[in-house]
Amino acid sequence: MNAHPTRIVAIDDDVDALECIGYVLRNAGYETHCFATATEALAAMAQTPPDVVITDLMMETLDSGFGFARRLREDERFAKVPIIVVTAAASQRGFDFTPRDEHDLAAMKVDAVFAKPVAPDELLATIRRLLGAARPDTTSGGPAR
Amino acid sequence: MTQENVRVLVVDDELGMREGCRKILEPEGYIVESAEDGQAGLELFQRRGDFAIALVDLNMPRMGGMKLIGRLRELDEDVVIFVITAYAAIETAVEATRRGAYGYIPKPFTPDELLLPVRNGIERRALAIEAKRLREERERRLLEVAFERTKASTIISCMTDGVLVINRDKQIVLRNNGMMRILPSCATLSLSSPLSALECPELEKLIEEVLSTDTGPVIASREVALDRCVYMVNASPVLEPNGDVMGAVAVLRDITALKKLDVAKSMFISMVAHEVKNPLAAVENYLTVILKGYVDGEPEKQRDMLERSMVRLNTLRTMVSELINLTAIETGNFTVKRSVLGLTQVVTEALDACRERAEGKKQELSFSCANGAEDVQILADRDSLFIVCTNLIDNAIKYTPEGGAIRVQVAQNGAFLKLSVEDNGIGMSDEESEHVFEEFFRVKNRQTVKEPGTGLGLSLVKRLVEMHDGAISLRSTPGAGSTFTLSLPIAARMGM
Ligand SMILES: Nc1ncnc2c1ncn2[C@@H]1O[C@H](COP(=O)(O)OP(=O)(O)OP(=O)(O)O)[C@@H](O)[C@H]1O
Ligand SMILES: [Mg+2]
Repeated sequence: MNAHPTRIVAIDDDVDALECIGYVLRNAGYETHCFATATEALAAMAQTPPDVVITDLMMETLDSGFGFARRLREDERFAKVPIIVVTAAASQRGFDFTPRDEHDLAAMKVDAVFAKPVAPDELLATIRRLLGAARPDTTSGGPAR
Repeated sequence: MTQENVRVLVVDDELGMREGCRKILEPEGYIVESAEDGQAGLELFQRRGDFAIALVDLNMPRMGGMKLIGRLRELDEDVVIFVITAYAAIETAVEATRRGAYGYIPKPFTPDELLLPVRNGIERRALAIEAKRLREERERRLLEVAFERTKASTIISCMTDGVLVINRDKQIVLRNNGMMRILPSCATLSLSSPLSALECPELEKLIEEVLSTDTGPVIASREVALDRCVYMVNASPVLEPNGDVMGAVAVLRDITALKKLDVAKSMFISMVAHEVKNPLAAVENYLTVILKGYVDGEPEKQRDMLERSMVRLNTLRTMVSELINLTAIETGNFTVKRSVLGLTQVVTEALDACRERAEGKKQELSFSCANGAEDVQILADRDSLFIVCTNLIDNAIKYTPEGGAIRVQVAQNGAFLKLSVEDNGIGMSDEESEHVFEEFFRVKNRQTVKEPGTGLGLSLVKRLVEMHDGAISLRSTPGAGSTFTLSLPIAARMGM
């Protein structure tokens, strides 16, 4: 059923945050593609659709990570792909982005929200949970340790 | 009833008449003085004045009675003049009255025929004087009131704040020019229009609170937004001396500028928080990954991560000191120790501080000084200038790819010394160039994403340059490079 290894797209405009997430994901055995902007990610995703998308919230090219999530949801190719939002800005300009419950998450059209810095263990556990819920997964490797 | 100190002037050419009058009047307490013709009478009046009554004969030598009446009237509008004459021709009487005579006493007369009209005359005079006093007093008060009113209304109409006064029936009784500027609908409404006609529900609500009888008189203050401006509205009751509410007065002050400043400050704080959080999160991220053992097998990678953490911490430190400097400049606490110095020395020091980084990127870093410019002195703070130079050179290195060239030049341009830092790096669009001096502005694209920075460098540079009465400008072309040019006023030439 799954011809390819689990593929993750990570987007963050902070090089180091991206580097860290990328390292942890690759280390866990995921095929990881890192992008600094949502536009670049979208272009690449059109070629090779990902199984999970991890995105920063405050991105310059699209209005925000949520706008990007909405774009993915409206695109039938990515409508079912789990989206994890990682953000340094739990609250920005008076808006509190921290979801309080499942309804909030649903309204945001994303599957999980983490505040930066995200603990690698938690991130990996969430990815595993989302992948398990999305489909029975045999190919994704667990973390190295 | 006798008269005290009432002076009577008798002017008659007949001695018998003069003495007759005296005999009748003096026993009654009148002070009587007399003259034997018009001219003498006039002179006496001019000399002594203060006659309440003048009894004037018509036919006299030198100056006739008719003429004398006119002259006396001119001198004193209150003196009561009686004509004493045997010829009771009606035309004569009319003419005498026209000239200012009060009455007419026909000759010969009994004592009472003289005393009665004289007493009447005195009463009339007293009444006239009292009436005049009252009239003058009223006029003076009216004038005062009018003056006070115009003064108050002039002050109110000149106030920049809007003033609106409402009576108890919620009708507009006063609105000043400021108010009409704020709410143009106010200008078209006539006085005693209902408050609701202003179509400003916020203002209406506030005034209603003030006038509300259940709470008693209160003062209400609130911010009200009207037509893209924000006003602080203070409304208070207008009270009668007994404490009854007569109406309400609202004063509107434009606080739009303050509000904007307030929003800008909050935005700035939120930006700072965000900019601090990012590098902190990155460092924490690296350290967690390392400490949790994810990188255990790869010492090289570990070192990489620690080095990146170091870079982020360095930027953070720079940012904090730049913030401190910016705030110090803004609050006027930035100390500049100005001294006469050569710009070239400072530039050389800045170049030395940056050389290693340029070499790391295999960039050519050159410095040239146009004829004689090395001797030109400026009055400046050395530390500030060093910050300015290193920021410009550092930017040129950061935003120029490997192998690029950076040229720093100092030249004299009239009364100014020019420093230009030119690179052949990534450049910027005109749009981006417009914003580079703003706090936290950074161009975000594939070429800049790996460069650490906070976007505070150039805003600090600009402030420092302005503090030195200098100016900074830039020319930039995307893909071709940028040139930042700084000009500072010259202090003196060395040895001059
Ligand atoms: N020589 C240059 N060439 C191209 N872009 C430049 C140049 N200098 C500045 N910029 C652009 O202007 C932005 C603002 O510069 P600024 O020096 O204020 O901040 P920074 O370099 O990002 O951070 P720092 O506060 O550490 O200096 C930069 O992020 C960069 O995008
Ligand atoms: Mg800079």
